[in-house]
Amino acid sequence: MKKKILIVEDERTLGLLYEEELSKEGYDITAVTDAEAALAKLAEQSFDLIVTDIRMPGKNGIELITQIMGLRKDIPIIINSAYQSYKEDFMTWAADAYVVKSSSLDELKSKIKQLLGD
Amino acid sequence: MIEKYSILSPDFERDAPRELMLLSIISQSFFQPFSLEDNLLVILTALTSGSGVGFNRAMLFLKQGDRLRGEMWLGPRSAEEAGLIWEVLSTPGIGYVEIVEHNRALVSKNEDTLSARLKGLVYAADDENALIPAYAACRKEILLVSQASTEPLVDRRFLNVIGVEQFVCIPLLARDDVVGEIILDNAITRTPITPADIKLAGICGLMAGNYIYSATLHRKLLDVEKMAAMGEMAMFVTHQLRNPIVAIGGFTEQLLKPDVPEEKRARNLTIIRDEIRRLEDIIYQMGHFLKVSLKEPVYFEPGPVIAGVLESPEIQTKARGYGLGIKLEPCLPEILCDPTSFGEVLRNLLDNAFDATSAGGTVSVRGYRKSPAAFVLSVRDTGRGLTNPDKENLFRPFFTTKEKGMGLGLPFIKRVMDTCGGKIEVQSRVGKGALFKLIFLCRERELTP
Repeated sequence: MKKKILIVEDERTLGLLYEEELSKEGYDITAVTDAEAALAKLAEQSFDLIVTDIRMPGKNGIELITQIMGLRKDIPIIINSAYQSYKEDFMTWAADAYVVKSSSLDELKSKIKQLLGD
Repeated sequence: MIEKYSILSPDFERDAPRELMLLSIISQSFFQPFSLEDNLLVILTALTSGSGVGFNRAMLFLKQGDRLRGEMWLGPRSAEEAGLIWEVLSTPGIGYVEIVEHNRALVSKNEDTLSARLKGLVYAADDENALIPAYAACRKEILLVSQASTEPLVDRRFLNVIGVEQFVCIPLLARDDVVGEIILDNAITRTPITPADIKLAGICGLMAGNYIYSATLHRKLLDVEKMAAMGEMAMFVTHQLRNPIVAIGGFTEQLLKPDVPEEKRARNLTIIRDEIRRLEDIIYQMGHFLKVSLKEPVYFEPGPVIAGVLESPEIQTKARGYGLGIKLEPCLPEILCDPTSFGEVLRNLLDNAFDATSAGGTVSVRGYRKSPAAFVLSVRDTGRGLTNPDKENLFRPFFTTKEKGMGLGLPFIKRVMDTCGGKIEVQSRVGKGALFKLIFLCRERELTP
């Protein structure tokens, strides 16, 4: 069974890039563009891991994480953001990893592998 | 019965006692939308206006760091020119704005003469053994110097520049600190300087000193605000630039792999091209917003600029599918603003109005006089309107309600309005559209004979 990853990314092109690249790694990817859509997906199916941006229109990534915490505590969450400066804070937001956006997806891929125990 | 009076009078009473007029002009400096230099020139004008009474010429030194530097001078160069200038300044109905315009013309004419030589004069601002003129500022004393060429305390270089035997030095003080010095003389009429003139000039010096002090503080405050905005901007730019760069890098990486199907190749190249365009747009907007200084405001007739913006291809394209109503009162007055910035302001407001309104809605532009000295340009839309938190944040750089917006349009408009002494009013409710009113200072158009 393929492991399922939910990507929350408001930039459609980035969502597409992640979807294609992570599918190649053998994951089943669902990409949404805002927190509300993410919560809706979480309500209808289960995921093994979530990758979310912070700054998004509507609810931001931190608010999303807080709500997910209230729902299912056991899903690992990776914050994927353009901001280097938030990196020190990610533990307080109860995320499991923080990856600064980069055109090389190597760090994101290795964090995913690590958290999924692959 | 209640009678209303304006705090700032648009013109000065010629019949009022000279002392009162002087103080009125100087105290108005604090409220004018002109640069420190313009306002200081008006103060110098006040000290030199009118034949017979007052002084003929004024020179200004400003303290910068620990130096006192010659900055500007004002006054006629000859008796003929004096007659002409004093005539202009005695014209009934002349006000602050006219004096500013007059001074700008005069200064540009004097640029290569006394001003250049004056600017070469630099003294230590805190020197026990300073020579005159710096002596007055260093000791915080008003000095009347007569028979200057026989006085060993007078700096010879200064004497060569000023070229008169009698002058008075007024230190400009604020909170017991020296901010500059004004030197006044009667080079044209050769009238002896009287104790009454010195007393009055001394009071003007105190007010001018306080004006310079508060203007400098204000400038520092703006710098601090700018620094805070820069911090916020750095964060924002990181985000705005990193996203397209990541997309470009990621999709290029895919292209570098062997055997990329033609369809995917074309798609990736399109994405890369679009993201590069987005980067260009971000850089353009940033550069536009960061333009350090806006041009000084001038009076101009806004009609042609408004028409130019409304008829521009960008606005015409945007307006397709919308109702665009325009109502300008006949015979528009002249408004105070930099014309180029004014056009950009209107373009920005229209952009926002169209973006906030769905097709089929209406955007209307109105231009009318609210009072003899206030012109309103308003842009109303029937779009989605603004929430109260949105309204509070509207003018904060990088705040945006648009999906692809940078949040720099309204802060730019605010900067322009601040620079020309205007005001912005916003009325809006969610679902009920928005009304942006820009209020400019205005005056009756000058009729060319």
